[in-house]
Amino acid sequence: MDWDVIISYLPLYKRAMILTLKIGWMGILFSVLIGFLCAVIRHYRVPVLRGLAGFYIELFRNTPLLVQLFFLYFALPRVGIPMDAEVCGVLGLSLLGGAYMAEAFRSGIEAVDSVQMESALSLGMTRWQAVIHVILPQAISISVPAFVANIIFLLKETSVFSAISLMDLMFTAKDLIGLYYRTVECLSLLVAFYLIILLPVSVIGSLVERRMRYAGFGD
Amino acid sequence: MKRNTRRIAAVLLSVLLIAGIFGCGSKKEEDASGDVFRTLDEIKESGVIRIGVFSDKSPFGFVDENGIYQGYDVYFAERIGADLGVTIEYVSTEAASRIEYLETGKVDIILANFTVTEERAQVVDFALPYMNVALGVVSHDDRVITDLSQIGADDQIIVITGTTAETFLVKNYPDIQLQKFDTYAAAKSAFENGTGVAWANDNTEVIAFAAVNPGYTVGIDFLGSADTIAPAVTKGNQTLLDWLNDEIVALGEENFFHKDYEETLVDTYGLEFEDTLVVEGGVVK
Repeated sequence: MDWDVIISYLPLYKRAMILTLKIGWMGILFSVLIGFLCAVIRHYRVPVLRGLAGFYIELFRNTPLLVQLFFLYFALPRVGIPMDAEVCGVLGLSLLGGAYMAEAFRSGIEAVDSVQMESALSLGMTRWQAVIHVILPQAISISVPAFVANIIFLLKETSVFSAISLMDLMFTAKDLIGLYYRTVECLSLLVAFYLIILLPVSVIGSLVERRMRYAGFGD
Repeated sequence: MKRNTRRIAAVLLSVLLIAGIFGCGSKKEEDASGDVFRTLDEIKESGVIRIGVFSDKSPFGFVDENGIYQGYDVYFAERIGADLGVTIEYVSTEAASRIEYLETGKVDIILANFTVTEERAQVVDFALPYMNVALGVVSHDDRVITDLSQIGADDQIIVITGTTAETFLVKNYPDIQLQKFDTYAAAKSAFENGTGVAWANDNTEVIAFAAVNPGYTVGIDFLGSADTIAPAVTKGNQTLLDWLNDEIVALGEENFFHKDYEETLVDTYGLEFEDTLVVEGGVVK
């Protein structure tokens, strides 16, 4: 283990971490939006859109991210839709994450007892008010653990971005090994940097989980 | 309180884990002379030799439509297997992982169009060369790059990680933006899709690419230094290295590599490149 080598590689890893975080968090943000929308559409059985959302979720949950990225990056330009590698990365991650988030939110919504809706309606709330003020807050609280697990999963999935030439952490490590053959240093840094990204997420995630455990009172 | 203790324990455990990985690292470096590799006798005894080749670099190492390994490197590999009297287990490698495969003893020989360089020779042992190579740059017909000074600040050149083209450009042209891919297949697809103004690689590879794909021109066919391509073994595997060197010299007497060229490369390069590319008997003219 050569510490000078490690120090000289740090700026490159830092740059890669920033790229990983940038694409990762943008992807996560969009996947939350997509997932939330799909879950609501599916649960409240919005006509037409419901079928589309179901098709989308099954398509992206049952194909690997690597395949999706290859398709976006290498196949789409051939039919006239060229895309930047970064755009492909964000899009791929958002679509994959959206499908997983949709399932997480849907299970949350379904876990809210139907008596809650009935009670809200009998108190004179409109259906819409009941969904916004009674159902969704509880549903979100219930889906937090699955939601945090998905965030960690998505951040880890960024390691396949090297396939479309994005200089993320994984690719930086592989590239440096190819250039200078310092395998042990490069791979140790790789592990360390992924932990720097992911440990805080999992610690903050479990804190949030604890704070938000307010659904389903009366148990 | 209990939760906090548990969390601290978790963090400490991860720190220990990292320390463990680092520890293992330094230990491994100390006894790098241990036997990660298999000697000639061990290979013969097992009846199988593991050879690392490319699976996507036509016409040197590739898998044909029947799933069989073919190409200039593979033709030589087949002969090695036959002369050793063992069966061959091909291991498909990427450019950037060739060294690691040897360092970890996952293959006995790398025959993946491996250019001999000083840096590489410090970590693996090269046998005698069997091919000449330099770098080349291929570009689109509508904007042929004939000199690297034509590369603008916003232009990108495609390279494959772990190749001599990458090392050369990083070292000598640090201002040129590189678009890096980890496999030949990915680099090819991206270049065909219009990514990058040019693709820098071994000149043999870019000439072959332009010959097969219309719309591309090799504007620079000789860049960097004149290098050679040779088989590589794990550092210190002297018995296998000696055998390979004897084999290459012996094969020179029957003009084996000329025959190899005529069987595998002539369709791509024609006969005019035969003497430029082939190194016979390990002697560079």
